[in-house]
Amino acid sequence: MGQYDALLKPLTIKNVTFRNRVFSSSHSPGYAKGGHITDRYLRYHAEKAKGGIGLTQFGGATGVSIENSYHYGQVNGSEDWIIPEYQKMAAGIHKHGAKCTVQLTHGGRRERWDAENWFPAYSPSCRREPVHKAFPAEMEDHDIRRIVKDYGQAVRRAKEGHLDGVELSFQAGTLIEQFWSPAMNFRTDRYGGSVENRVRFGLEVLEEVRKVNGDYLVGIRMPGDEMLKDGLNQRDCIEIAKIYAKSGMVDFISIVAAQGADAVSSALIWPTMWVPPGGWLPLASAVKAEVDVPIIHAARIADLPTANRAVEEGHVDMVGMTRAFLADPHLLKKAMEGREDDIRQCVGAGYCVDRVISGHDTLCIQNAAMSREAAMPHVIAKTANGVKRAVVVGAGPGGLEAARVLAERGHKVTLFEREAETGGQVNIAAKAPWRVSIQGVQRWLDGQVRKLGVDIRTGVEAKADDVMALKPDVVIVATGGHPNKGWYTGSDLAVSTWDILSGKVEPADNVLLFDESGAQQGASTAEFIAKRGSKVEIATTDRTICMELGDTNAAAFLKELYQAGVLISPDLRLTNIYREGNQLVAVLANVFTQQEEERVVDQVVAECGTMPNDALYFALKPLAKNLGEVDLRSVADAGPSALEVNPNGAFQLFRVGDAWASRNIHAAIYDSLRLCKDI
Amino acid sequence: MIPLQWLIGICVVVGAVCALWRARRWFRGQPAKVDFVRGLMRYPRSYFVDLHHIVARDPYTARMHMMVAGGFTAALLLTLAVHLFNIDSRVLAWLLLVFLALMGVGAAFVAMRRSPKRARLSAGGFSRLPWSLFAFAAAFFLATLPKAGLVASFAALSVPGIVVLLLAAWGCAEMVAFLPLGPMKHSFAGAMHLICHPRFARLGAARPDSGLKPLDLSAPKLGVETPADFKWNQLLGFDACVQCGRCEVVCPAFAAELPLNPKKLIQDLARAVDPGGNDLAYAGSSYPGRSVGHAHGGPSQPIIGDGAMIHPDTLWSCTTCRACVQECPMMIEHVDAIIDLRRFQALEKGAVPGKAPLVLAELRATDTQSGAALASRLDWAADLSLPLISTKGECDVLLWLGEGAFDLRNQRTLRALVRLMRHAKIDFAVLGEEELDTGDLARRLGDEATFQDLAKRNAATLAKYRFRRIVTADPHVFHSLRNEYPAFGARHEVLHHTMLLDELMTNGALPKTKAQPTKTTYHDPCYLGRYNGEIRAPRAILDAIGVERVEMERSGMRSMCCGGGGGAPVTDIAGKKRIPDVRMEQARETGAAVVAVACPNCAVMLEGVVGPRPEIFDVAELLLQAVEAA
Repeated sequence: MGQYDALLKPLTIKNVTFRNRVFSSSHSPGYAKGGHITDRYLRYHAEKAKGGIGLTQFGGATGVSIENSYHYGQVNGSEDWIIPEYQKMAAGIHKHGAKCTVQLTHGGRRERWDAENWFPAYSPSCRREPVHKAFPAEMEDHDIRRIVKDYGQAVRRAKEGHLDGVELSFQAGTLIEQFWSPAMNFRTDRYGGSVENRVRFGLEVLEEVRKVNGDYLVGIRMPGDEMLKDGLNQRDCIEIAKIYAKSGMVDFISIVAAQGADAVSSALIWPTMWVPPGGWLPLASAVKAEVDVPIIHAARIADLPTANRAVEEGHVDMVGMTRAFLADPHLLKKAMEGREDDIRQCVGAGYCVDRVISGHDTLCIQNAAMSREAAMPHVIAKTANGVKRAVVVGAGPGGLEAARVLAERGHKVTLFEREAETGGQVNIAAKAPWRVSIQGVQRWLDGQVRKLGVDIRTGVEAKADDVMALKPDVVIVATGGHPNKGWYTGSDLAVSTWDILSGKVEPADNVLLFDESGAQQGASTAEFIAKRGSKVEIATTDRTICMELGDTNAAAFLKELYQAGVLISPDLRLTNIYREGNQLVAVLANVFTQQEEERVVDQVVAECGTMPNDALYFALKPLAKNLGEVDLRSVADAGPSALEVNPNGAFQLFRVGDAWASRNIHAAIYDSLRLCKDI
Repeated sequence: MIPLQWLIGICVVVGAVCALWRARRWFRGQPAKVDFVRGLMRYPRSYFVDLHHIVARDPYTARMHMMVAGGFTAALLLTLAVHLFNIDSRVLAWLLLVFLALMGVGAAFVAMRRSPKRARLSAGGFSRLPWSLFAFAAAFFLATLPKAGLVASFAALSVPGIVVLLLAAWGCAEMVAFLPLGPMKHSFAGAMHLICHPRFARLGAARPDSGLKPLDLSAPKLGVETPADFKWNQLLGFDACVQCGRCEVVCPAFAAELPLNPKKLIQDLARAVDPGGNDLAYAGSSYPGRSVGHAHGGPSQPIIGDGAMIHPDTLWSCTTCRACVQECPMMIEHVDAIIDLRRFQALEKGAVPGKAPLVLAELRATDTQSGAALASRLDWAADLSLPLISTKGECDVLLWLGEGAFDLRNQRTLRALVRLMRHAKIDFAVLGEEELDTGDLARRLGDEATFQDLAKRNAATLAKYRFRRIVTADPHVFHSLRNEYPAFGARHEVLHHTMLLDELMTNGALPKTKAQPTKTTYHDPCYLGRYNGEIRAPRAILDAIGVERVEMERSGMRSMCCGGGGGAPVTDIAGKKRIPDVRMEQARETGAAVVAVACPNCAVMLEGVVGPRPEIFDVAELLLQAVEAA
């Protein structure tokens, strides 16, 4: 019998049979526009269905009431015009054998009041929520009656929309959980005080839902522990789960951890590599032991063996692999075809969720085709236009992706790498505390290019002659960058974050870290130094550190840094470093007032992004057909770049990733995918 | 020429005595229903058509045998006429000279065939044979020259007379007097075997007669323990072996150096009939990894055992692929013998090796090989909503899923088949929980009791429903249902899925396909090809979807087993190599990018080959790809 028998066993809940135990949990990837389901959104879920998933729960935080807001790309489930859109979504998913549900949510105080219809946010009590920052209106009796009715109607739309069921959000600190939680509900009427009173509103919602929709599949998603001061602890949550299970109105319960009401809670409820794999499974398992409705759970379960164990050992009935399906929508299909080595595993970078929290669309740090299904292929087709000779220089994520895509196209690829190992900056990033999972980006790409038979030449710093000797038709310069220590006097006295993380330079006792990147590099390095016992101050030009990161990563870094005693000094620019005796004096200027202050330290670490390693590119540029120019218009439209401006040129030349400009892993991989997919 | 006359007369008498003496040992076996008259009447066709078809696959040997056997048979009769009964006829003498010359040329072919020495041909008496043939031919050629009027007659005590007498003595001893005992015994036993063949139905049959016959489970002893437990005509069959080694060349176990050589197996069975039987005189290739000289047996001694005639590892190395049976010019039934022996081991001794006891226990406890719950047979198809015949009551095609439904690899094949049937709008249904394992594996492992139990219950289930025909993607299921279930009252039209798909393509029920110009080689499953003769349909499908089809050196009815039959994967006898590796090497030699298969066992065995290799797809998967690409 197979390795994943437990996962691949169908599950029937009520009258719906899921073909296996793997699901994608409700989330809003930000693809809906104005509350409408878009083609992109449909393709995104259909791809998971193609990839073998049993259930895909779309429409995270789909609105139910007129006051709900859609500022991060949620679906509006409060109007009947959504029904045909649901039907289209359902058909697109059912076509590939998967089932789907929508997550109906009244956000309560987790809403923007300054959007959509400009009604206030509502909550059982008036307490500000730090993430959405609204001071909500305390709900009156008519508000309660109205919203209860709204839920009944919202579920009716799902049913008429041919969806297989709904998940009602009693989690993430949204309205119904706001009633439950003593940290959010301070009412003294029949909806506040005792547990019976606090659970009343949710039960009324379910009664209405059942009254309108009868036997339809209805589940709830709720915390297994709010992990919040004065909030619901694990025992409270289990008690509440038992009350709802006993009511007979709940067909399944999906368990989460924490509640997302602040940044740290966001880092817990949507865990990144900061939380160990399967870290919240015990919460789900504890509920499962107490109730007799199916329990489902998703949080940082990125690999199939863990997922299978979760089901096999009886912790849950279905296991969510939401982000795992972003990294590889075909992961289950690949496992079923015995191609586990080809599965691109989620590394837990949290790039996806942090983009949504920051008001963008969801993208996967590794998989540039994800959610770009209309334009970017998940499976690279073989070329029909003849095999070309391709040379890729640099085996960081961009170079590896270029080599992978070109080799999948069927071209003959040579990949040069100066270092002994592939991976580029990923190898440095993985050295930071709790960041080792990021190595997975390199691991998968490296495995793929080796399997595809790419000629990999590590330990070779390719010069133009080496490249030309291979008589290439295509050259991809993915030489990356070198650390930039900034533009100020005495910058040569600073060391880089790379120097520290790679172990080239030992951290000194008293360190100033100047961070102009605002992402992981500075924060990681500060944590690395602080956890070796040094005193660290981070000075940043931004209003705090990690401004380029979303809450789930930023909160993790901030918590770790504060706990390690790192001093964070915002709004400062490093303007000068000079030597004084054994020490360094760093001059910092306030970015608003220009007022200067000085620090006497043993070491200055400067993080100002990278500067391109572009010598090879400029050496090859005059020899190229396109003189290095990219057809930006065509590439933006997902077309090829095939400019021919140099009649004497012999090859197409592109640079990707940081060799072009200092950006991130996703940018490097996307550069390579879209430039190489049509070659 | 009195001495020559005497010599011939004595040799004929001795020959007759020897023949009776030899035949005596066959009657140590169990009685068998044999229709001598029918066998005799059919003999010319059996010999000149059925047997010749097999011999003619090796044209050199066929020509050689025609000259030697034809020449000798005619010459012997004429010799009796001319030299024993002294019929004075120049015509007969001339005819005799012609046939003796033919025989002499044939003897030269026999000698050339053995030089340089070939591993598959036995030495010993067989090395002597060309010279014995030549001696016979030369002696009587010389002796006949005077009778033909070509030379003056010579006296018996003259030099030529003595030479003739000595040569004739040698020739007649080998070719007449001791014919039933030496290498020439194949002619005598072979003829008797054709007349009394234990599978008489295979002679002249349109498709292979390959189904096993049910064992009477109330018999005092189940299966074969000692030589005396074989049917007498099986023992006769073993004696017919001419040790040509064709079986050895095609045996997949032998190729992978598992301890099995079908030729030695038959020889050991033949020798075990004699009291104090041993293999000391055997002069062919041994079982790989085991030297000759350790076999000891007797008519009522157990055949199987460590130190007995045949080691258990030899018995369990067989994949029941029937390649030996297919090749054997004496039409010996090796696989039947192996199953008879396994039946005793499994049913009386419980001595089944490797993981086989676990699999058999699962079959008895759960009615599946893997121990899966019957209800989970449809798990893989939860999103396909397969109609149940228990709900529908009747349908056109009853789809038999088989053990492949529990296996990820073969679920893909079944999925492709279901989609194709839906494309073709076939009215089909499945049995769901009611489908039990067909018992094929149990039967090949000798556990006839488990097989019969499963077969009876499956037959009862089938009898409840109305359907036109059964379709399955598993050739083992196909073979069981088609050839072995009728004995249990289940008489249904059964199709392998490639037969159905070929029919659907031919009658236009499937949508157009897009040409798939991949270089593809087709690996015939034994239970579809050799067991059932179906080698056309899968190839017709591949040709219709436009693959560049290349054949492996061994294909069709002479294809080589993947190693997955007969319970070999569960008995798991070690060899130097693995059978699927050997087969994959043959596939690699074609340069094909894809190996098309049509059997769940083949798919699993060949996909288990590590290292760079062609991709493995079932014919149904390839057809679906072609349909969906269009």
